[in-house]
Amino acid sequence: MRVLPRSAANRIAWVALLAYAAAMLVLGVAVFFATHAAFSRQMDASIEQTTNALQGEYRDDGIRGVAEAINQLHGPGPISLGTALFAPDGRRIAGNLNTSMPAPGWQRIVFVDPLEGPDPARAQVTPLAGGYRLVVAADLESLEAIDRTILVMFGAAFAALLLLGIVGVLLLAAYLRRRLGGIEATAAAIIAGDLRQRASLGASDDEFDRVAASLNAMLDRIAALIANLRQVTGDLAHDLRTPLSRLRNHLETLRMSHGYAANPLPVDEAVEQADDLLALFEAILRISELEEGGLRSSFKQVDLSRLVSELGEAHMPLAEDMQRTLVVSVEPQLTVQGDRELIAQAAINLIENALRHTQPGASVELKALACDDKIVIRIQDNGPGIPAAEQERVQERFVRLESSRSTPGHGLGLSLVRAIAEAHGGRLVLGDAEPGLVAELRFPQRGPM
Amino acid sequence: MRILLAEDDNDTRNFVERGLGELGHNVIAAANGEDALHHALTEDVDVIILDRMMPMLDGLSVLKRLRAGGITVPVLMLTALGRIEDRVDGLEAGADDYLVKPFAFSELAARIQALGRRTAPAAVTTRLAIGGIEMDLLAREVRRGGKKVNLQPREFRLLEELMRHAGEFVTRTMLLERVWDFHFDPQTKIIETHMSRLRTKLNEGGQLDAIETVRGVGYRIRAT
Repeated sequence: MRVLPRSAANRIAWVALLAYAAAMLVLGVAVFFATHAAFSRQMDASIEQTTNALQGEYRDDGIRGVAEAINQLHGPGPISLGTALFAPDGRRIAGNLNTSMPAPGWQRIVFVDPLEGPDPARAQVTPLAGGYRLVVAADLESLEAIDRTILVMFGAAFAALLLLGIVGVLLLAAYLRRRLGGIEATAAAIIAGDLRQRASLGASDDEFDRVAASLNAMLDRIAALIANLRQVTGDLAHDLRTPLSRLRNHLETLRMSHGYAANPLPVDEAVEQADDLLALFEAILRISELEEGGLRSSFKQVDLSRLVSELGEAHMPLAEDMQRTLVVSVEPQLTVQGDRELIAQAAINLIENALRHTQPGASVELKALACDDKIVIRIQDNGPGIPAAEQERVQERFVRLESSRSTPGHGLGLSLVRAIAEAHGGRLVLGDAEPGLVAELRFPQRGPM
Repeated sequence: MRILLAEDDNDTRNFVERGLGELGHNVIAAANGEDALHHALTEDVDVIILDRMMPMLDGLSVLKRLRAGGITVPVLMLTALGRIEDRVDGLEAGADDYLVKPFAFSELAARIQALGRRTAPAAVTTRLAIGGIEMDLLAREVRRGGKKVNLQPREFRLLEELMRHAGEFVTRTMLLERVWDFHFDPQTKIIETHMSRLRTKLNEGGQLDAIETVRGVGYRIRAT
């Protein structure tokens, strides 16, 4: 399936992923700081507890008691906290903290670890009577290790989240596009003129299936309305033909009357007008019939090169009478699968349009050629042309441009041409010949059969 | 001519019967297929007009039975089915001509005339001569008053159609069918322009107009 350059599905999925990632980031930061603070508090509490215990020893037994307690503290067994007792002259008299005497209060100190060298630590420095100072400190390395662990774990989790999220986004977007793509393809086919297309329904009856079902129901309704309109137009044209024929026949019987010989013109004109109307109804019926489809069964191989040559030849005198130059060029051995007379009708309409809507002296080219995978009948003139904005509209029924109001016709010519082209699986394409109009009947080329 | 008219619609039947009567034909009318078959088998007629849709026995069946029974009288089929696909149906079933309803009476009259003529021995004609115009169909030469007239192939075919039906009207649609092989009227002016060329060439030198035109009906070659 085509990757849509602008996809709401993509956008929604990416926004969701980014929002989720941001939330995750905020959570991570909060956890980090909360954990850090909790560990810090715990460390401080443990330092305070030891300081209090040692102060108790000091109250009971003085400096000596403290020093003994410190020495006992650092007997065999794990050392969790570092301690030091400093004499008033700054000399360390007990404890394992290899550092110089710090100022009283909570301090960040640096001590020399026997194994790792200088290390930062958090210390509570308590002044004792007589200028002695008690230092209880905890190595900050453990806290940093915890911080690092949290960061690494969080980073890994975040990366995994992003990776899974991106994969999820791509999958979701592809899924959404696939579901919507079916509906879009149906709509495109309908716009292109194939009203029989319907969106396919899945088995899950989810919202996509329901939208597709609604779309199909809507299309059925539109198709019914169009069929109805076509039916009414066709019926109307069909039913009006009979009384109109009767009228025409009565007019003809007038030709046998005495008054006719003296003044034949009004009767002749009335007959011609009746014929025009009958031709109009005929065209309406023909278009309805073509649009209904189902003509293909009667299609045969048509020698297009010959047909177009014949039509060119047939229109030479007309072009000459109208003082237009008709230039015919036909590639040999062009054939299409179709109805010879319908194709002739379409080409005749285009040729006569070109002759009618140009000025005397204009030249009209009639060509039959193979172009890519199409067989094309091209009629090009150097007249006023049709503005690009109107090129689609003039193919509708009964549409006539302001500029052609003065010429005869009822605005069905091009719609008949289009209906004929489409009945053959082809297209009518109008374009600007700069100056002039180029009209092409494009028929699909059949492979060797 | 004796014409058998088989048509179930009263209005159409009466109208056609009266019209053909006024033209001097002798019309036998039938309102259904059974009657039509009975008349066709028992009476001697020159042309049969058969409506395609009739009660009891439809036109196509009547036609098939007639042909099966060895009756070769020319048949003109009337059909209300004017659909593209139906164009050649009647012809394939053995009808000699067909006309889609509603039709102009003059069209029907012209076609009946043309069909009636066919019963005449169909000798291979190679020369046609009417009112000072001579056509040699083999050499593809045309002379008027002994003077050669140069015609384009389609002009020649048009003149040939008119000459073959001398004294009768040939309609636009008949000419479209026979000269251009179009079975419905593409509403084109090609007949008119070719006819005007033909006329100019024939009338060159200030002779009497050889072709008579009646608007809405057709063309006829003058016998004199």
